[in-house]
Amino acid sequence: MADRYSFSLTTFSPSGKLVQIEHALNAVAQGVTSVGIKATNGIVIATEKKTPSFLVDDETQEKVTLISPNIGMVYSGMGPDARVLVDKARKSAQEYKQVYHEEPPTAILVKEIASVMQEFTQSGGVRPFGVSLLIAGFDETGPTLYQVDPSGAFWAWKASAIGKNMVNAKTFLEKRYNETMEIEDAVHTAILTLKEGFEGQMTESTIEIGVAQIVEVTSQEGVKSKVGRFKKLNAPEIKDYLANIA
Amino acid sequence: MAMKGKNCVAIAADRRFGVQLMTLSTDFQKIFEINPRTYIGLPGLATDVQTLSELFRFKTNLYKLREERDISPKTFSHMVSSTLYEKRFGNYFCEPVIAGIEKDGSPYICSMDLLGCINHAKDFVVSGTASSQMYGTAEGLWEPELEPEELFETIAQAMMSAVDRDASSGWGVIVHVITQDGVMTKTLKARMD
Amino acid sequence: MLDLSFLPSGRGGAVTDLPDDQDDAQTFAMDAAAFSHPSFVLPSVADPVAWMKHQMSDAAENRIKMAKGTTTLAFKFKDGIIVAVDSRATGGTYIASQSVKKIIEINPYLLGTMAGGAADCSYWERELGRRCRVYELRNKERISVAAASKLLSNMVYAYKGMGLSMGTMVVGWDKTGPALFYVDSDGQRLKGDLFSVGSGSTFAYGVLDSGYHCNLSIEEAIDLGRRSIYHATFRDAASGGSVLIYHVRQDGWQVISRTDVTELHYQYAEEPRPSLL
Repeated sequence: MADRYSFSLTTFSPSGKLVQIEHALNAVAQGVTSVGIKATNGIVIATEKKTPSFLVDDETQEKVTLISPNIGMVYSGMGPDARVLVDKARKSAQEYKQVYHEEPPTAILVKEIASVMQEFTQSGGVRPFGVSLLIAGFDETGPTLYQVDPSGAFWAWKASAIGKNMVNAKTFLEKRYNETMEIEDAVHTAILTLKEGFEGQMTESTIEIGVAQIVEVTSQEGVKSKVGRFKKLNAPEIKDYLANIA
Repeated sequence: MAMKGKNCVAIAADRRFGVQLMTLSTDFQKIFEINPRTYIGLPGLATDVQTLSELFRFKTNLYKLREERDISPKTFSHMVSSTLYEKRFGNYFCEPVIAGIEKDGSPYICSMDLLGCINHAKDFVVSGTASSQMYGTAEGLWEPELEPEELFETIAQAMMSAVDRDASSGWGVIVHVITQDGVMTKTLKARMD
Repeated sequence: MLDLSFLPSGRGGAVTDLPDDQDDAQTFAMDAAAFSHPSFVLPSVADPVAWMKHQMSDAAENRIKMAKGTTTLAFKFKDGIIVAVDSRATGGTYIASQSVKKIIEINPYLLGTMAGGAADCSYWERELGRRCRVYELRNKERISVAAASKLLSNMVYAYKGMGLSMGTMVVGWDKTGPALFYVDSDGQRLKGDLFSVGSGSTFAYGVLDSGYHCNLSIEEAIDLGRRSIYHATFRDAASGGSVLIYHVRQDGWQVISRTDVTELHYQYAEEPRPSLL
C-alpha cells in the first residue's frame, strides 16, 4: 500500500506523510556523522571523512566547505546532492553581496538554502535532496548554528549531530555541552563526539573540522576591524587537537 | 544636500515641483524616511522620484521582514545603487542623496549619479539643479564636528542661499537633522519666487 | 542751421576746441548722423542674416543663447498708466541678479520696459532717448509716444533676423493723453490699453484681466499691477526679486514703489481668500 505513494513524485499519503522525504531522511541516516557546536566566541562543525578504499586520495575530498567568508557548512548523506547545494548557496551569497556589498547574515543564507530544498519536495520531475546540513556562521548577531533537513525544515541549535550516529552523538552532546564553553573546548568536544562510534583510526586525514570565529582584518585604507570569518582547520592543526585529546 | 556633523547628519531639499519655468506646486516631497536612522533625498524627474520612493519603500519593507532588522544607511545606499544600475539602459532620471546614522553611531552620507555610482564624502554631498550653488555655499559654511543645532543652522543657510541663486529651486526648504536620539524636522520660511 | 555744438562729437573731445572752419563741417556731419540708423559692424559674410540665423539655431556648435525671463506689464486707466515689472536677471536657470531695473527712464515723460536681451533693451532705449532729445531740439516740442515707439521699431527692424531680442513697452503722456505701445525686435508695434510681456506674462495676464477695468482708482490700479507681478514671480521661475511700479501722469512719470516679493507673499498669505462662489 505504502508503495503507491512512493514513486518518483512526492505525494501525500492518506496519513499525511510525504514518504519520499522520509526516504530522503533515511539516506541521511546512512550518511557519515557530522556534528556542530556553538561556543560563546565561535562555532565548530566537524565530520568524519570516509573513503571506500584506501586507494582513494583523500586530500581532494572536501565535506566541510566555505560558502562565504563568514559561513561554512558540512553535510551528512549523499555527496553529489550536497555539492549541488553548495553551488547554489555560494551563488546565492554572491548575489546578496552584489546587491548589498556585504556578506549575507547566516539566517538569510540558511533560509535561501532551505527554500531550495523545499522546492525540490514540491516540484515536478525532481527528488528531494538526500542530505542534511549543518551550517555555521558568524555575523553581526554573533555565532549561529543551523541544521537543514531534506524537507526544507531548519532549526538553530546550540549543538547538533546528523548522520548515521546522530542519536548517540546527540546524547553525548547533551551530557557534555554547557553554555559557557569556548571555541577551543568546543573543538575538543566535537572531536570526542565524533569518536563515539568512529569506525577505524581517527587521524588528521580522516576528519574535517571548520571553525567560525571573530578575527581582526585590515581594510585597504589600513582601518582595522573585527569581523566573523569561517575557516577550515588544516592537517597540522587537527593533529594538534587530536594529540591533546589522546 | 546632506551634511555630516558630530554624531549627527542633516539632509535638506527644496519643495518646488515645476515643469521648466512653470511652478506647479510648492509642497512636493523629495526626502523620504526609510527608517528612523536612514533618509533618502530624490531630486530629479518627478515621476521617477515617486516611483523610486515607492520602490525603495517596497524593498526596505521586504528587507526588514526577511532580515528582522532595519537596513543600515550604507547597505541601503548599495541597494539604491544596484536598483539604479539595473536600469543601466533606460535609466531613472534621479540622482539620490542618502543620509543616516550607522549602527555604531557614526554618521553616513553619500550621493549617487543616475546610474548608481556612489560618491562618499567626509563633509557634505549635493545633488540637483542648484548643485553648483550648493557646492559654493556648503564649501563656505561647513565645519567639522558640528553639533546638531549648529549643523541645522549650517545646512539651512547653505540651502537657502543656494536656492536663491537657482531659478528652478526654492519655494520653501525642508531640513531633517538625524541623531541617535531621533529626527528633528523643520520647514523653513523662504523666498517664494 | 541748428546748432548742436553742445552735443559730444563722435571723435571725442569738445566740438568748441575745433578751428572755426572745421566747426561747420562737424556740425553738419552730426546733423546728418543724428537721424540715420546707427550702424554696427556686421559679420563680413555674404548674407549676415542667414549667418546669424545659423549661429543662433540648435544646429550651431557654439549656439548663442540669450538671457531671457521676465514679467513686465503696463495698462491705461482713468488716471494715467501703471507700469510694473519684476527685477530678476537669469542666465539659463542661474539667477544673475535680483535687483535689475527693468523700467528705463527715456525722459521725464517717456518710459520703456525691458524684456528679452538686457543689453539690447538698454542700448536701443538709450538710443531712442537720444533721438527723442534731438527731435525736441529740432521741433521745439516733445515727441509723441506714437512717434517715439515708431523710431524704436524702425531702428530694430533694420537689424531684423540678426539676433536682437527685445519685447518692450513704450509708455508716456503726450498731447493726445496717455499712450501705450508694444514694440518688439521682430518689428511688431502695437497700440493698446493693456500689455504684459515676458516669460511670466501669461500668469500676470491672468490676474490683470480678472481685476482690470478703466475706472480703477490710483490705489486700486497700483495694487492690481503689484499683485499681477507678484503672482507671475510665484509661478514663473524666471521672474522674481522685487516689484517696481511707476505711474505715468500728465506731468510725467513718478516712481511709486519697490517691494521685495517675499514680503508680498507673506503679506498676501495673511489676507482672507475671496470666496469662489
